[in-house]
Amino acid sequence: MTLHRIATDVGGTFTDLVCLTFDPVTGETLVKTAKADTTPPGFEQGVLDVLAKAGVQLDEVGFFAHGTTVVINALTERKGTKVGLITTQGFRDVLQIARGNRPDFFNMLYEKPPAFVPRHLRREIAGRLDYKGAERAPLDLSPLPGILDDFRAEGVGAVAICFLHAYANPAHEAATLAEVRRLWPDVPVVASHQITREWREYERTSTTVLSAYVQPVAARYLTRLRDGLAAKGMQAPIHVMQSNGGIDTLERAARIPITMVESGPASGVWAAAELGRLIGVPNVLALDIGGTTAKCSLIECGTVKVMTDYWIERSRTSAGYPIMVPVVDLVEIGNGGGSIARADAFGKLHVGPQSAGAVPGPAAYGRGGVVATTTDANLWLGRINPDYFCGGEIQADMASAGTALEALGAQLGLDTSGAARAIVRIANANMAAALKLVSVNRGHDPRDFTMVGFGGGGAMHAVALAQELGVKTVVIPAGAAVFSAWGMLMSDLRRDLFLTRLMDLSPPNAPTLTTLCAEAEAEATRAFAQDGIATAPTFLRMGRFRYQNQEHTIEVEIPGLLDIPALEAAFHAAYEREYTYRLNAPVEVVGLHLIAFTEVGKLVPKPRPLGPRDASAAIKGLRQVDYAEDGSHAATIYDGTRLLPGMAFHGPAIVEDPGTTVVIHPGNRAHLDTYGNLHIAVTA
Amino acid sequence: MTDPITLDIIQNALQATADEMFAVLRKTAMSSIIYEVLDMGTGITDAAGEIATSGAGIPSFVGVLDKAVKVIAAKFPLETLAEGDVFLTNDPFHGGVTHLNDLVLMMPVFAQGELIAWTANIAHNSDVGGLAPGSLSSNATEIYQEGLRLPAIRLIKAGEPIEAVFDILMANSRMPDVLRGDVWAAIAAVRIGARRLTELAGRYGVGVFRQAMAAFMDHGERIALAGLAAPPKGRFSMTEEQDDGSHLSVTVTISVSEFVVDLTGNPDQAASPMNTSRDGAMLNAQMVFKSLTDPQGPANAGSFRPVKVLTRKGSIFDPVEPAPFGFYYETEMRLHDLICRCLAQVMPERFGAGHFGSICGTFLGGIHPDTGRPYTIIEPQIGGWGGRPGQDGISATFSLGHGETYNCPAEVNEARNGLYVEQLALNMAEGGEGQFTGGRGIVMDYRIRAEKGFLTAGYTRSKFPAWGLKGGREGSPNLVEVIRPAGTERYAFVSELPLQKGDVVRVITGNGGGYGEPLARDPVLVARDVKDGFLTAERAAEVYGRKA
Repeated sequence: MTLHRIATDVGGTFTDLVCLTFDPVTGETLVKTAKADTTPPGFEQGVLDVLAKAGVQLDEVGFFAHGTTVVINALTERKGTKVGLITTQGFRDVLQIARGNRPDFFNMLYEKPPAFVPRHLRREIAGRLDYKGAERAPLDLSPLPGILDDFRAEGVGAVAICFLHAYANPAHEAATLAEVRRLWPDVPVVASHQITREWREYERTSTTVLSAYVQPVAARYLTRLRDGLAAKGMQAPIHVMQSNGGIDTLERAARIPITMVESGPASGVWAAAELGRLIGVPNVLALDIGGTTAKCSLIECGTVKVMTDYWIERSRTSAGYPIMVPVVDLVEIGNGGGSIARADAFGKLHVGPQSAGAVPGPAAYGRGGVVATTTDANLWLGRINPDYFCGGEIQADMASAGTALEALGAQLGLDTSGAARAIVRIANANMAAALKLVSVNRGHDPRDFTMVGFGGGGAMHAVALAQELGVKTVVIPAGAAVFSAWGMLMSDLRRDLFLTRLMDLSPPNAPTLTTLCAEAEAEATRAFAQDGIATAPTFLRMGRFRYQNQEHTIEVEIPGLLDIPALEAAFHAAYEREYTYRLNAPVEVVGLHLIAFTEVGKLVPKPRPLGPRDASAAIKGLRQVDYAEDGSHAATIYDGTRLLPGMAFHGPAIVEDPGTTVVIHPGNRAHLDTYGNLHIAVTA
Repeated sequence: MTDPITLDIIQNALQATADEMFAVLRKTAMSSIIYEVLDMGTGITDAAGEIATSGAGIPSFVGVLDKAVKVIAAKFPLETLAEGDVFLTNDPFHGGVTHLNDLVLMMPVFAQGELIAWTANIAHNSDVGGLAPGSLSSNATEIYQEGLRLPAIRLIKAGEPIEAVFDILMANSRMPDVLRGDVWAAIAAVRIGARRLTELAGRYGVGVFRQAMAAFMDHGERIALAGLAAPPKGRFSMTEEQDDGSHLSVTVTISVSEFVVDLTGNPDQAASPMNTSRDGAMLNAQMVFKSLTDPQGPANAGSFRPVKVLTRKGSIFDPVEPAPFGFYYETEMRLHDLICRCLAQVMPERFGAGHFGSICGTFLGGIHPDTGRPYTIIEPQIGGWGGRPGQDGISATFSLGHGETYNCPAEVNEARNGLYVEQLALNMAEGGEGQFTGGRGIVMDYRIRAEKGFLTAGYTRSKFPAWGLKGGREGSPNLVEVIRPAGTERYAFVSELPLQKGDVVRVITGNGGGYGEPLARDPVLVARDVKDGFLTAERAAEVYGRKA
């Protein structure tokens, strides 16, 4: 029996589950969600707990997708293994030199992020390739046994290999990899070409080192998860969420775990794109607001943009560490429900990035939190129902929220409500800036996009942000609070390959470009087969182009039948849209971005019949709600669990759902579509 | 009175706009010195040219644009300005501040028919003519030899490019295609910024927009004055001998309301490109002041109101025509470092020991052996920073004159410029020992593949390395070596030195100064350094009195 399709998502505080069960009698699909505590360090226990809590029969599971923060946690908490690095002669210090940049540029005492591998564990091997991949000097592996002896003596737990120009020719790396495996079969080892085929040696070295750093902990975790689920009778293969918005096999994830690094936010973006496809909205602004951060991403024509320009711990005060793996293009800022509001010494209000977290949490949790957060402000303004806080699981401590807001207000010269409104406005301004970064700053007009708001807080702020940006329609998906987990059930098995290959975009190079595409596709097809994936991949080929002498590229699709002049014209047009001008200059190809994907039991949601428009059956009551810039109004309160497809109503209104609260402003019109998603027509 | 939260929101939007202009310029530029070195800056001023906000990037271009806008605003009265105009200057005698390579583009921004602001940017262009490729030559004795002078002129009139100006620009450059690409990148940046500001003022009203700008500057001033509370008050002086034998001196007077940098006691202007404009001297005083008072906060006209600079007309910090400026930045580095060294004597914990202290500008050119096209490397170098209380200095990082600047990856460098990078390693030279050591400089080897090429370089702190503090030892020198079959040559300043295929240009940057007595260093750290190969056991015993 393959009744259940399951997604589990291990978050910082909770492990979420979404279970879709097909009822063969009625033909209906039932949705069940559950939450259990996340259980560090044995995270797999939380997964088994949530499955038990939901009462899922594991032998009836047909599809299992899994998202985990195990990689990002191991990195940020520095809980990986000791890594030994083998690199090209003359370049062992690259990891420490990094790029030399200093974002906190007025700070005379700036601290550079320390290298993950100390100098005595960074060792060199002779052998050189040139940028075209040709050998300048042969590889000399004679020092390798000695190096590995030293690594063993130092307690090294994983080996990383990164050689200059291995993106162009991996032969030296592959030979070294094979020799390490022969000499020390037990040690986890990874070479840069297994992860990325792009140039920039520091970024590639950092990526390889960080992958080795998390490899033992990730592999251990995934193995335990697989064994734990198998012991309970699950036979379905496990698919693991990746940072590119796709899923991949467990075996591949265990081999190259670093590609999981940003998988949590990625699945939400992917879910928004899939939702857009489902309801016929190709252009989507995805807004995911959680407890600590808000994530924004732009989806154009149904396409989620995937890039390899990803860094951890990068900020205005730190250079951070690059990880050159395919990651969904998103902007994440420290603004969530738990974000702390504070006034600085000059009476300026700041919201985030510090968060009250789950403990003590917002003041209204009544767990000893004394500083005001965005959630406290939303409660105080009547936007969140204090008697239905966290789905009714917590009685909001309004006295504590009021005290915290009053104290903040005193520093700002505002009364309690004024302070609450100020927090909401500043939080909205921060999030609007992030949304502009992914839209207007890249040449997109938000008026051409539909905003999809999800996560615990997306629905609360989406309308105000849509008004700010000129977005006309907001969609709050059914199950908005667990929308990211839902996205995993909608994902394809997908791999993004980035290849660097420099050439002029000119008719004589057409055969070279065609061959490059064909070789990359053949390699991907081979890899899919090797990993036991039943269906061969489908491909989307993106070329990375620029004007000669430039550095940064933009992507343009390379159609199956190569037409160089048409491709060049498409580049000029895409470039002009983004940057306001075009040049009469030669165009270069810098490389290829190949997307290989295949369906592995993807969910196709079924529509429900549309019922009557009258929504009065779902009305819970009336409440005074402060809409900040839009004034205070008596709002109709709806019970989200009683709203049915086809129902329609208008603002001012609030929809209360166990996981989230939807704030609908005066003048907005709302209706539920055939899948139960709430559409809000925004009046600008 | 508009509510303060609205003003905050507008101020945040101004910052976001300056950052967006920066991102546009970076992504579209054709010179690596712009898109990678980020030798550029963006900013927004009010209608009068007072700086409101700057895009993140490098500190020495924050607060440079207001000076240029004020010159344009004075030269072109309000009634002559039109929507869509773009102006241009590069001449330090006409608001250009730095040197002729740096083109400053400025665009007046209108909303509801009124001038509300200027968007502006500055970027180093690869070649603007002059006597040497790349326009910089240490042989220049007059500004006329350093390239085309653009003395605060109109480039675009009401949206229509003035073709004559473009034609003159391109005809004077050795790299016209690159110059054209970079100028258009700069135009795109000021245009996008102007569009955002017009939208912002349209949304909140011109009055509120102006109020937000003014309030932002007042806020900057309040932060600056608060930052002046902590440092010791008084008059502090420092004189220092330079590599070329000259002496530079500074007197800094700190009070509760002012930060006055007196440079009147300095040498006459030079008939070499080591002069810097008075605006440039001011800029460096502003930079040190900003670092001292509020490194992370907003940088605008208000933030710099307490700063005063005294100079003497005809001196290297306030030269008159026709003084050349090509290597102005090394003189600015010397000035910045001198002010820091002066103040570090009275507040060592705020500054730490000296860093390698030079841009180490390195210029290499020739014909790419694979593409047949000319290549030019124009790059600053990374080096060692000084030890500071509780921490060793950081290694291989750009100087205080740069900031969010990136070095060029060896893999990209080899492809783009047709040479080999044979090594990029930390500098193991002695120097910078202390309780907290100086960070390491680098040793980088370029092997020339082109049949013929050239090297131009201008490094300071080659004779007198980075200064130690509180008993820490001085760092190690910056220099460039050329290794040829006939032997090794050593340089600090060199112009258009011919290179042949197979020659190795070795860039060596200094270690930073040490902080505190070496004998006070934690033996655990000494042992770690020995294990990591930063220190031999013999040297550890000699300097730190420890047996490894």
